[in-house]
Amino acid sequence: MAQGLNRRQIGVTTAMIDSYGELIFEMSHNKQSRRGDPIRELDFDAIEATRHERGMSDGQIGEQIGLSEMQVMYIRAMMERRRFHTNHFQRLLELGGGKRFREERFTAHEERFQYHDDALALRDAMSFDPARARHYSEQGWWNNDTLSGLLARHAADRGAAAAVIQGETIISYADLLHRVDRLAGGLHGLGLGRGDVIAVQLPNVEEYVISYLAIARLGAVMTTLYMPHREREFETLLGHSRARALICLADAGGFPAAQAALNLKLPKLQRVIAIGEPVTGAVPFEDLAGTSTGADSLDLPLPVAADPMLLLYTSGTTASPKAVPHNSHTMLGNGRLGVGAHQLGPDDVIMSAPPFGHLFGLYALHMSLHNGAANLLLPSFTPPDLAAAIEAGRATALLAAPAHLAACLGLGLFDKHDCSALKIVILSGSAVPEEMARAASAKLPNCEITQLWGMTETQGGLYCRPGDGIEISATSAGRPAPGAEARIGEDGELQVRGSMLFPGYFDNPDANAAAFTHDGWFRSGDLAAQDGNGNFAITGRIKDIINRGGVKYNPREIEDLLDSHPAIAQSAIVPMPDKILGERACCFAVPTDQGGDPEISLDTLCAYLLGHGIAKTKLPEHLVLLDEMPLTPTRKIIKGRLPLPETG
Amino acid sequence: MGDDDVANATEFDAREAKKAILDYCLGKGALAAGVADLDALERIAPPGHRPSDIMPKVKSVISLGVGGQTQGAWAVPAKAMGYFGSTETRAYTISYGAAFFIESKYQTPAIYCPPDMDNEKGPRVPLQSLKLHAEVAGIGARSLAGDILLHPEFGYMYFASIFTELDLPPDRPMAQNPCPAPSCVSMYRQIGRTPCQKFCPVQCLSGKIDEAGKQAEMHYDMAACAEISQQYEAVPALLAEAMAAEDAQGREEALFDPDNKMLWYKMSVGSGGLLAQCFECMRVCPIATKAPLADPIRRSKAKAEA
Ligand code: SF4
Ligand code: SF4
Repeated sequence: MAQGLNRRQIGVTTAMIDSYGELIFEMSHNKQSRRGDPIRELDFDAIEATRHERGMSDGQIGEQIGLSEMQVMYIRAMMERRRFHTNHFQRLLELGGGKRFREERFTAHEERFQYHDDALALRDAMSFDPARARHYSEQGWWNNDTLSGLLARHAADRGAAAAVIQGETIISYADLLHRVDRLAGGLHGLGLGRGDVIAVQLPNVEEYVISYLAIARLGAVMTTLYMPHREREFETLLGHSRARALICLADAGGFPAAQAALNLKLPKLQRVIAIGEPVTGAVPFEDLAGTSTGADSLDLPLPVAADPMLLLYTSGTTASPKAVPHNSHTMLGNGRLGVGAHQLGPDDVIMSAPPFGHLFGLYALHMSLHNGAANLLLPSFTPPDLAAAIEAGRATALLAAPAHLAACLGLGLFDKHDCSALKIVILSGSAVPEEMARAASAKLPNCEITQLWGMTETQGGLYCRPGDGIEISATSAGRPAPGAEARIGEDGELQVRGSMLFPGYFDNPDANAAAFTHDGWFRSGDLAAQDGNGNFAITGRIKDIINRGGVKYNPREIEDLLDSHPAIAQSAIVPMPDKILGERACCFAVPTDQGGDPEISLDTLCAYLLGHGIAKTKLPEHLVLLDEMPLTPTRKIIKGRLPLPETG
Repeated sequence: MGDDDVANATEFDAREAKKAILDYCLGKGALAAGVADLDALERIAPPGHRPSDIMPKVKSVISLGVGGQTQGAWAVPAKAMGYFGSTETRAYTISYGAAFFIESKYQTPAIYCPPDMDNEKGPRVPLQSLKLHAEVAGIGARSLAGDILLHPEFGYMYFASIFTELDLPPDRPMAQNPCPAPSCVSMYRQIGRTPCQKFCPVQCLSGKIDEAGKQAEMHYDMAACAEISQQYEAVPALLAEAMAAEDAQGREEALFDPDNKMLWYKMSVGSGGLLAQCFECMRVCPIATKAPLADPIRRSKAKAEA
C-alpha cells in the first residue's frame, strides 16, 4: 500500500518492478555521491547540476523516468526488500570493533560459519539423553574442557614443561602449541574446517600428537586408521566416515599409504597429506606444518566441548561399520576424572604401548593433556623397545595391553632395564591373566599393576585404583570410573552408562537398536561378575557363550586352563554351528613350539581339562592348530576371524 | 499576557532575540546552535521537504547540536555501540524547550521540527533534512564518511531544529570543512584511503582527496550501511520467511531463532538498538574522537583551563 492505495490502484505490475527496480534503487538515496562541497559553499548551480548524484527523491526519479511518485515509492520499497539482507547486523558484531577490521581477512559471517551436510549429520548423531546430559553437567563431569583449551592453558602456565618426548626429542607445551597452531592454519588453508572428518594413519610419533591437536583446534573430527589397515579398510572407513582428508605416511613399512588412498579416488576425500618422501598428488605434511599463518592469527573460532571430536571404528571391515562418535565431554571428562583416580600429576611421564589409533592409546594423551604431564611416545612396539623407552624416558605411568607386559616379562626385560620410575601400569585391551599380573607386580614392587576395562564406546569404564592391592587388581577390572555406572544384566552381561559413554553409533540404526537397553544402558557384550566390594571381573564375551543343546557355558575358564598348558601359547574357544546340538565348541590353539607339538591333540587336551575338573559337556569337540591368532592392536584375539572348519 | 511582555514584543530586536534563543539552547546543553538561511534551505531542499512545506509562514530555522558520544563510548567495542540509540533524544528535548521558550518570550509561533519519517513520501524518507539545516546554519560540514556532519571543535553531534515565524538574522555555513583531517590526508596519500573508508565494515565509503587536501569526491553506499546497522527490513522479511517455511520447524526457526527473537524484544520495548548505525567510521575519525571539545572529558578540561 502507498498512501492507502494498493498496487493495482497505483498501477504497478510485476513487469514494472522488474524493469525499473534496479534503476530506481540506484538513483534513490541508496547510492549517494558528492563532488566538491557545494552546499556548504552555497554554490547553487553546482547543487542543481549534481542533485541526481546525491540520491534523488522518489518524485524527482519519477519525473526523470516517467513514473508517478507513488509508483517509484512502491517499486523502491519492493527492491529494498529484495536487496537487503536481514539481520546483517551480526556481521558487525562479529568484527568486534573498527580497529580490528582488516579487509583482506574479511570473510562474510555466513561463510565463516557454514557446516556442510556431512558435518551436520555427524553433529546430529551427538544426541544424548537430556536428563543424563543435565546430570553430567550438574556433577561437573562434563565441562568445557577442549584439547585446544587445555593446550593453551599449559602453554601459558607451564610452557617450558615437556609435553611430548620421543627418543631424544622433547617438545615443550609452548612449542607444541606453536606447532599445532601452524598446522591448524595449514589445514585451514586447504579448505578444511569445523566439522570436517580428517583421518590419521600414523604410528605413535610426534606428528600424530600435533595432527590430533591441530584437527581439534579447527573444530574438525579425527578418525583413526590402524597401521595394518590397507586399501580395503581405507575404502570402508574413509568412505563411511566421509573423511575429507587423510594424514598418513608416504611409506608405511612398504605399504604406500598415501598413494593407495589417492588411487581409491574416494569422492569425499579431497586431500591426502603425506609424511616422508614426496608423493604426486599428495600435500607434504612439512609444508602445512611450516605455514606462516597460524589458526590464532586467522581468528579461527575455538571449538567447544560439545563439538564432535573423534569418530572411531570398532572394526575395519564389516559391511556396516560401527562408527563411534565422541566429543570433549565424553573423552576429556573421562580423562580428567581418570587423572585423579589413577593418581597422576603434572610431573608424570605417561606412556602408551598401544597405538593412538586405538582409544586406549588416546586415553594416555587425554590424561596427560588434562594436567600438563609429559607424553612418552613409543613409535612401534617391540618388547625391547618398550622396556628401553620406559628406562630412557623415566616413564611413571604405562598404559599397555596384557600381551605387551607379558612379552617383556617373558624376555626378562624388567631385569635388564631400570623401570623403577614406573608407579602405575594400567592394563587393558584383553583379559589379564592373573598369574601374569602377579608376576609383574613381583618384578615391579614399587609399581601398582592395575586393570582397566573399556571399549571404543566408553574409553575408561571400570578400573582398579592405586592402593587396591594385587589381590583385587590381578583378578578384577575394578570399579566404575568416576561418572560411570555399571550393572550386570540378566544374561550376565556387563552394562554401563555414564558421562564417558558415546551417544550411539553414527549412521547405523541397527547397531544402535541392539546396543542399548530400553532404559538407556549400553550393552558391553562382555560377561562380568561382581564381588562383594563392588569390583567387576570380566569373565568372557557374550558372543563366545557356547550353547550346546541348551547347556550354555562360558569357555573363558577352559581357555585360561589351556593357556597355562606348557605346550600352548594361546588358545581360543568359539562356538561352531551344529545341525543336532545347535552349537559345539571348537578350540583354536597356537602351540609354543611353532613346528607343532605331537603331544597336542584333541584327546590329550581333553584329558588335561578333565584332570582339572572340567565337566565333560564343556570339552572342546574340534581342535585347529594355528601359527598365530588374528589380533587387535591391543593384542586381543579377534574370534570372528578364526577359520571355522567345515563340519556336518 | 502582562504589559511587560507586550512591551518586549513591540520593541523586538532580532539580534537580541537570536542571542537569547541560542543562549537558551546552549544553556540547556547544546554544544552549538545557529540560524540557517531560510532562502537557501528553500532552494536546496526538494519539494515537499522545504521548511515552508511544514510551516507555511516560517521565517527562521534554528539548528542545534548536542554531543554525540562520551570518550568511553568511542572506546568500547562495536558490540556495545550497536545499542547506543537514544542520544538524539537529548537534542529533541532542547529544541522542544526552545520552541516553548520562543512562544512564551516572543509571542510568535514556533515548532520543534519533527525528525520522523514523512508519511506521504514513503519509507526511509524524512520530513526534513536536519543535516541540511545544521550545515546551512554553520554548525557542521559534510565529511567523507557518508556526509556525516563534523564540527572542528565538537567533532560529531546529533542535531535538532526549531522553526519559527520570528525573523532572525541567519548565520553562514562554515568557511572551512574540517574533514579530511591532516592525518587522514597523509593516510590517503599513502594507502589511497582515509580511516573511515578503510574501517567501514561493509566498505560502503570511497572517495578522493584533491591536491590541496580537500574533498574532491565522496561516494556512499547507503544501502550497505543501512543493511548492516538497521533492521527495519528484518521484521517483514522474517514473517515472509516464516510463511514460506516448509514445515513447523522451519517456521519456529524463522520466528524464534535468537536473532529474530531479539528483534521482537527490541520492537516490544522500543529499544534504540533498532535504529543505531554502526559508526565504525566515526570511531576511527580523528575529528569525531579527538576534536578539542569532542567529549565530556575534553570539554570539562577545557572549561577548567579557561
Ligand atoms: S555507519 Fe558503519 S556502515 Fe555506515 S558508513 Fe559508517 S562505518 Fe560504514
Ligand atoms: S576519518 Fe573523519 S576526518 Fe578523516 S576523512 Fe573520514 S570523516 Fe573525514
